[in-house]
Amino acid sequence: MSKPSDPRSDLELMEHADGETEDAGVAARLERDPDARAKIQAIQEIGELVRGHLELSADAAHDAKFAAMWRRIDDQIEAPVAGLWSRAMRWFDRYRGHVITGAVSAGAVAALALILRPSMPDPGRYGAGSTVIDVRPVALRATPEIDALDTPGGTGTVINLDDDEDGHTTVIWVTPADTVEGI
Amino acid sequence: MSERVSERGDAPWRAKGCPWAAVVMMTVVVPALAGTMKEARADVTTECEFLEISAKAGDKPAIDHELSPVEKKLKKPPFSTWNQFKLLSRLQKPLAKKKAEPIPLKIGSATATLVEIVDKSKVRLTITMDDHKGKQVANNTATVEAGDYLIYVHGLPNNEGHLLSLTCK
Repeated sequence: MSKPSDPRSDLELMEHADGETEDAGVAARLERDPDARAKIQAIQEIGELVRGHLELSADAAHDAKFAAMWRRIDDQIEAPVAGLWSRAMRWFDRYRGHVITGAVSAGAVAALALILRPSMPDPGRYGAGSTVIDVRPVALRATPEIDALDTPGGTGTVINLDDDEDGHTTVIWVTPADTVEGI
Repeated sequence: MSERVSERGDAPWRAKGCPWAAVVMMTVVVPALAGTMKEARADVTTECEFLEISAKAGDKPAIDHELSPVEKKLKKPPFSTWNQFKLLSRLQKPLAKKKAEPIPLKIGSATATLVEIVDKSKVRLTITMDDHKGKQVANNTATVEAGDYLIYVHGLPNNEGHLLSLTCK
């Protein structure tokens, strides 16, 4: 049966193995006591085992945590790209500079073409503006209205002629006063 | 990791909203505005044709072939008191809103003013007509449908007539 070890001296040996003490007495003991050297070696081996296990665990936890983090980031950055629309949008994103330039140029050209194009006769419409007045079918036209009539020195007579084919004709007949007096 | 940073870092426009909105605005709104401007410019014009006609009674009926647009009307009352019609002048003139346009005539003169366009199909016009002495014969404001006719008749001595026909479109 081996001699019971001194707890205090074992504690000093552990501190020494961990590099926590530089006690010259412990070093001298290790020189002369093979049992103490065996304890130190055992302590160091157990320490290495524990440290290695903990580091492996830490590494495993680190990778899993960051992998999950990146997955979340990737999910937020890029929406699911299964659809045609998503692929098209990604293509537009990639070439947005070219697309924007082209679209703006096309818009500007269209605007200029609209502004500068010559007036084209429009069926049913007519005039210098070419697009303003609707010439309605004869049957839908309203009777002309005389808003004001002044015939200085004569007599004015308004005659409305309806023609089924040509529309309305309003005749404003001015008879000079001297002619009226002569009648 | 550095690639991720640069991907996100070079896209500050994302924070300002969708850039396609600006493109759509440029391609749709600009032409639309251009069209609106053109419509607005065209809103205040119409084009009228003026025919100055002399009328008298003679042995044989005679109507200038250039009067074909109104020939049918001239053969009916009240114009049937005459049977000879001669085109003195013809003028096609655009009228701008509220701008009096002189209408040169062989006998006297006239002015035409587009007061307004009513219901997109009618024109309200003010017409003045002076005789050869510069004396005003008629001053009239009337609203007529596009394509309809206004004919001013000024009776002259010796049973002759001086007519001004107009139609606007």
